[in-house]
Amino acid sequence: MGKATVIPFGPQHPVLPEPLHLDLVVEDEKVIEAIPQIGFIHRGLEKLVETRDYNQFIYVAERICGICAFGHSMGYAETVERLMGIEIPDRAKMLRVIWHELSRVHSHILWMGLAADAFGFESLFMHCWRLRERVLDLFEATTGGRVIFSVVRVGGVNRDISDEQLKQFVDVLDGIKGEYKEICDTFLTDRSVKNRTVGVGYISYDDALAMSMVGPFVRASGVKQDVRMLRNDGYAFLDGFEPVIDPQGDCYARVKVRALEVLQAIDIIEEMIRKLVPGEIAVPVKGNPADGAEACNVLEQPRGECYYYARGNGTKNLARMRMRTPTSQNLAGMTTALAGCDLADVNMIVLTIDPCISCTER
Amino acid sequence: MALEAKFMEMGAGDILRCAQEHKAAGWRFVQLLCTNTDDGIDVQYSYMKDQLIENWTVKGVSKEDHLPSITGEFLAAFVFENESHDLFGVQIDNIAIDFGGRFYDLAMAEPMTVISPEQKAAREKAAKIAAAKAAKEQQAAAGAPAAGADADLEAKLAGMDPEKAAKVRAAMAAKAKKDVAGKAASADAELEAKLAGMDPEKAAKVRAAMEAKKARAAAQQETEGKGE
Repeated sequence: MGKATVIPFGPQHPVLPEPLHLDLVVEDEKVIEAIPQIGFIHRGLEKLVETRDYNQFIYVAERICGICAFGHSMGYAETVERLMGIEIPDRAKMLRVIWHELSRVHSHILWMGLAADAFGFESLFMHCWRLRERVLDLFEATTGGRVIFSVVRVGGVNRDISDEQLKQFVDVLDGIKGEYKEICDTFLTDRSVKNRTVGVGYISYDDALAMSMVGPFVRASGVKQDVRMLRNDGYAFLDGFEPVIDPQGDCYARVKVRALEVLQAIDIIEEMIRKLVPGEIAVPVKGNPADGAEACNVLEQPRGECYYYARGNGTKNLARMRMRTPTSQNLAGMTTALAGCDLADVNMIVLTIDPCISCTER
Repeated sequence: MALEAKFMEMGAGDILRCAQEHKAAGWRFVQLLCTNTDDGIDVQYSYMKDQLIENWTVKGVSKEDHLPSITGEFLAAFVFENESHDLFGVQIDNIAIDFGGRFYDLAMAEPMTVISPEQKAAREKAAKIAAAKAAKEQQAAAGAPAAGADADLEAKLAGMDPEKAAKVRAAMAAKAKKDVAGKAASADAELEAKLAGMDPEKAAKVRAAMEAKKARAAAQQETEGKGE
């Protein structure tokens, strides 16, 4: 056994997509302990509820993250609707689910590209990102934006999707599904992928629960935990929902869960399109949240469960808005997964929790 | 099985016990948040099991108070406890991974406790509106017993000698008329006092406008009288 050495890792590092710093305590090539640090890009967006009214803040909420933009606007709007007792039209709920699941498709495919890049499979990275462009095209056609959509508002949505666009949705998704299955097969069966992921960064079922982990990270340890199971709002229209889980608990299981969740998200979108009811897409919203009123909400973002909290103070501004993002909840699990791993596997383990420091440092 | 949320209060001394009980019962830690209020910082702990979220709030925590860390029960809380310290100045003891105030790289200390002028103005306005609403409701509530008193009086009059009751009614009507006249006179006096304090030219214009209004009202009454 060698002498313990501390290796600083990040916040700028070629394999890190986000500014995360790790103090890696290593003995020889083994990581004994990993201490994470964030805080390099804290923006104080939650403070802006004091100067932006509850309708304006939706545009701040979706700028928290460029990948979960839609989810944040949806989660925020649903929370304010709970706070003010607003019931939105069914069509608006279903449209939100369609766009949100499309976000999951683009987020997971983006992540798979990054993972492929991290283990040196350049062509797989390019195929993933090529496919993702077609998903972004669907966003652009229906919302006008590729990253920031501004399509959700408190009380519903700002835009409808026409029958013609829905048909285009189905055609494009069918096309994507075929190509995606080939990519998915490569991820799940290729030897070079398995070499870097199988048995790496193991988290047991019990540890996953003890660490209060969320998202694909916890589901890859066999925990059946996905807030879509609660069938809140638009998800109530689904015939049924069973989360994708894998009991293996390693990096490969995390790749597998995300890979299969893309296909599941496409199925959800297709089901919603089939069931989409005609009608209004928004209701008028009047008044302000009552003084002292509180509401919370959870939404299964691509990276995991996101918790939203709002408190009113009788004015058009909220007294407090809170977004607890999946990454902040998964940092403890990440340190557990890193303890005992080889130094060369650190990047894979960090990537497989799909960290979003931008979300975490709102 | 839709989401259910409960909001409850607890004391600072119950934080650790609450975390231990929830962990033992299979709940998972969801988050910890702080809210800056006029009475101090509200610190809220959220736990979730199945479809239920319980939010336990410790109200009015001051900067001198020391709260226990729950990272012994839920390690995931270390992020939020460091954040609460850096952004709100909440003192939390024995955090498993304690950054000692350097978790966030901030330009100023405890930025979330600063009340902006916009927020202050909005709060004052909301307080005024709430006070006015409460006063109106109180006034309305005070009016309700008066109506009840009228009903009692009518019941009493119904049980009286009809001649005496008619006299009482006439006296009350005369009193009510006198009250109305008195109020009108006092309103006129108030208006005159206001006009006296105004610029003479403007006061003359107001007087002329009021006289014109009175003349219009009288003409309308006359027209209506002829029509009948």
